[in-house]
Amino acid sequence: MSTLEAHPVSAGEKPLAAPRRLRWPRLTLAEAFSFLFLLLLIAGAIFADRIPGLVRPNFPYGDFSRPPEWSINGLFGTDGLGRSIFSRILHGARATLTIVGIATLISLGFGLLLGMLAGYYRGIIERFVDLFANTVAALPPILVILALLTATGPSVTTMTLALGFLEIGTYARIAKGGVISQYDRDYILAARALGASDARILLREILPNLMPTLAALVPPLMAGLIITEGSLSFLGYGIAPPAPSWGGMIADSTDLLSRFPLLIFGPILTIVCTVFALNTVGDYLSRRIDRREKQL
Amino acid sequence: MTVPSDIHPLLAVENLSCAVPGPAGAMRILTDVSFTLPHATALGIVGESGAGKSMLVKTIMDIAPSRAAVTGAVRLDGTALQSLDTRTRRTTLGRRVGMVFQNPMTSLNPFVRVGRQVEEASRKHLGLDRRAAREKAIALLRAVGIPDAAECYHGFPHQFSGGMKQRIMIATALACDPELLIADEATTALDATVQKDILDLLQTLQQRRRMSMILVTHNLGVVAGRTDEVIVMYGGRLVEHAPTERLFASPRHRYTAALLSAMPRIDQPAHTRLATIPGQPPSLAHPEPGCPFAPRCPAAIDACRAAMPPMTVSADGRHRFACHVPLDAGISGDASVRQPEAANV
Repeated sequence: MSTLEAHPVSAGEKPLAAPRRLRWPRLTLAEAFSFLFLLLLIAGAIFADRIPGLVRPNFPYGDFSRPPEWSINGLFGTDGLGRSIFSRILHGARATLTIVGIATLISLGFGLLLGMLAGYYRGIIERFVDLFANTVAALPPILVILALLTATGPSVTTMTLALGFLEIGTYARIAKGGVISQYDRDYILAARALGASDARILLREILPNLMPTLAALVPPLMAGLIITEGSLSFLGYGIAPPAPSWGGMIADSTDLLSRFPLLIFGPILTIVCTVFALNTVGDYLSRRIDRREKQL
Repeated sequence: MTVPSDIHPLLAVENLSCAVPGPAGAMRILTDVSFTLPHATALGIVGESGAGKSMLVKTIMDIAPSRAAVTGAVRLDGTALQSLDTRTRRTTLGRRVGMVFQNPMTSLNPFVRVGRQVEEASRKHLGLDRRAAREKAIALLRAVGIPDAAECYHGFPHQFSGGMKQRIMIATALACDPELLIADEATTALDATVQKDILDLLQTLQQRRRMSMILVTHNLGVVAGRTDEVIVMYGGRLVEHAPTERLFASPRHRYTAALLSAMPRIDQPAHTRLATIPGQPPSLAHPEPGCPFAPRCPAAIDACRAAMPPMTVSADGRHRFACHVPLDAGISGDASVRQPEAANV
């Protein structure tokens, strides 16, 4: 094509200095440890069965209620039945992370869908989504799930679905706000002028702009789910014993708390560290948004 | 398009009106605008803020706010766009008309790499595969004067300066080889030297690609020497439409003349006070009967305040204006003074 020839740039404009990637802010020490901890926890949960020397979570491998010692199985001691607490924590992590992960995917998926439609089309859809989000936000999650599980019987599937359902409104609101704030931007107008369909505008123009916000919000919300799930298991409504769960282990060790206080140490520490790490990662990601907004 | 292109003008706007509901009743943003644009022609649309320039092109592009009530017809190559269903209309417009927006800082998506933004339309409308679209995008970036186009393909918008972003926007608008390029105040947000570069680029592209172009601007200097025809808008109405040189040489409408005399000129001594037009632009919410310019017009007579002047067409049909007391052709036109000055942006 003859038209595609170079057109000179005058001295008034500088060419792109050096294409550089979007920068990630420097990790603080706490953030580095948080990332490391989460990676180790996820790896431990995935490969819990394959760690050499680690006993099965339900295998009574030693004396009961032994204090922590320097061996892989005895790292956090043994529980009232002589089972390795460390092994049970890793297997419990597998259950917890699966439940929380699936619940988050459910709420994220439906929340984004509803929120984006509400923000883009407004009108009746928006009012429905607002009503839904406000109503669900008013419900205490633990009580609702307790009632549900009492009615239908303890079930991990039911609990996961309910946890996911109760967070849909939160994500929907975030997505809705994001879409509304972008609706009038020129690049959306430009995309429409280029003949892009609504679906394309939502998915390819607006969604990428929502991603950093969501990335910063998902970890703290997941931390909240971990606490809710732990509470339910603690109350005996989540993961049923003898399957290992963090909340269940805390419940077991409270019976022996006066004689063997160290038993509660492992599961509590794990929950605290996980929640702390998720919140720290969330803070780091929101710091990244602030930074990027300054760059733009 | 079964009809051969040369029978119909590329773009025909017929009695286009547009009203937007406002707090004080409907605002008549556009009233009865009609014009045609032949193939391979550059048209300037000038007017002050609130004259309806931007809404006119947005209405043509079907991207006016959805609450705007639009009447009239827009024909692209003889096809009435309003008669098409929404999907076909959007696709047709996206394929055949490119648009560049006022502010390059906000018209590129900050989270999408520029290469993808440039190639997006060609993949959708021309069905190019990833590789072909990419090659075309890089060629386009090069054509609009981006150095290291292959590297910039991967860049994000914030890495580029305003002028560069506007070049990228132009590349985006050209992705489907449009027959019409609309530049809506495309240089207003840029500084003066870059403005000239971008305008020169637009003009070069328009001539090389033999496409039509609409330059929307409030600056008469922008259209001088770069367009074949000029439309002057005031208060949501088309008040004068003429070949560019004739408009500068002998404007017939009083508003056009006032606008021309408000332009700073290089042959005036330094610190000459600029001529202004007294009064304010008309209220769109409460339009008065008669010519919208009448309250500010030095030559207004009672007829001006009573009724909207009809469109007068010159003998050769190329000069149209709506004025009860037009300036005489030739007498006011001091051609030697009002030579179009392309550099004066």
